[in-house]
Amino acid sequence: MADASLEATLTTLAADGATGALRAGRAGTVFLDRGRVCYVECAGTPGVEELLAASGRISAGGVKSTRQGATGDGGDTLVRRGVLTRGELQFCVLGATLDASFFLFGGSGAPKLRFRDGDRHWLGPHWFFDVSGLFRECRRRSARLDRAWASAELDNHPITPRRHVRARHVVLSALQWEIVLASDGVTPPAELARRIGRSAYSTLLAVRELAAAELLEPPEPAKPSEAPKPNEPPKPNEAGKPNEPPKSNEVPKPNDPPKPADPAQPAVPAAPREPAEPPGSGDSGPAVLPRRTNRPGNGGLVMSAGVPATSGDPTDVNLLIRLRDALEALQ
Amino acid sequence: MIGIEECLAEAMAIPGALCAMLVDHASGTAIAGQGAADLEGSAAGLRECYRATQGGLAMSSPDGTVRIEDVIVTTDHGYQLILPMETPFDGPLLMCLRLDRGRANLALARLRLRSISHQLIAP
Repeated sequence: MADASLEATLTTLAADGATGALRAGRAGTVFLDRGRVCYVECAGTPGVEELLAASGRISAGGVKSTRQGATGDGGDTLVRRGVLTRGELQFCVLGATLDASFFLFGGSGAPKLRFRDGDRHWLGPHWFFDVSGLFRECRRRSARLDRAWASAELDNHPITPRRHVRARHVVLSALQWEIVLASDGVTPPAELARRIGRSAYSTLLAVRELAAAELLEPPEPAKPSEAPKPNEPPKPNEAGKPNEPPKSNEVPKPNDPPKPADPAQPAVPAAPREPAEPPGSGDSGPAVLPRRTNRPGNGGLVMSAGVPATSGDPTDVNLLIRLRDALEALQ
Repeated sequence: MIGIEECLAEAMAIPGALCAMLVDHASGTAIAGQGAADLEGSAAGLRECYRATQGGLAMSSPDGTVRIEDVIVTTDHGYQLILPMETPFDGPLLMCLRLDRGRANLALARLRLRSISHQLIAP
């Protein structure tokens, strides 16, 4: 079973009408109930526990104690106690499931799959997805991301709203407002999502929409095709060797010149974080990328091409590398 | 209190209802629907419709902030109602109802839809 893809394994389990939990290495777990997916968790996205606590309806401690006391029907207990309505519980479960699926199924590499028959999530089953429908929705979501802003360059980049907006006014969604308020020039989207208790996908989508509206600072060495200002002289060192970004020890260099040339981005602490970069671009993956180490070389190519040395938490970087790989695989 | 499927069934029981669906506004996901030929396509379209309304009103409203209670679109064949519901999680959730123009009572449908939404998500 370890050789089969997640989708193939899930399809087989669904056809067998299986009930249990399919673990995909340390990346996440898919819970099945009689052949249908009833919950998915992913290490990089907020789970129901976090969403419940962030909703303000119940404290984190309340969630924990319900979980410990639950015998497969924790969700029913919450509804009975009046913490949530049935609809809210379903919405919480399906939202977390779709969010986790998008990042878990989009992951690169082949995590070790292990199915534990009969394992259930503490909330119990409250919403069901067909395996094929779930994968279809994940593909729709990636297409949606690309329609909003067809570049992944800001996906794992700290969010830095522009200080000056050229338009007379801008219209933000509630989520975009929260993102702008919570952004600190250091935190990348996935981590910010967790902090504000929103799904990682909708946060990412909102960030791409903000980028499309030119409300975010572009990453330092902006891609020529998308940079509105070609007067930025970012890569003097690299001009003669544009095809060699994966070499990890060269990554910091092209990053230094733009800093003095671009004083509009003082908040991005590129230099101190550079040590976190090589895992994506070198062979030292295992040390800093705990969850997915199968394809360090490929991940490095992707990272170095789109994202400069500024990187956030390695966990998020890893997650976003996998997302990016998935997006590229779809093209 | 009711779940998503019961909520859609109740919406479909409104006189003149042709199609009812729930759409997650943030992601554009069609959560569930009844009576829709192309659930995903309709969901994407209605989400854009709501979004455009929201953006357009924000630009044109003289009083600054406006909160949309619902959107009613009258077409040559019927009505399209979009009711945004705030949830404690990602949101808002859009409840969309398409009505037959000849059979529906718009005022009644609007009130019924609101009352159903309050059973789904605590107001």
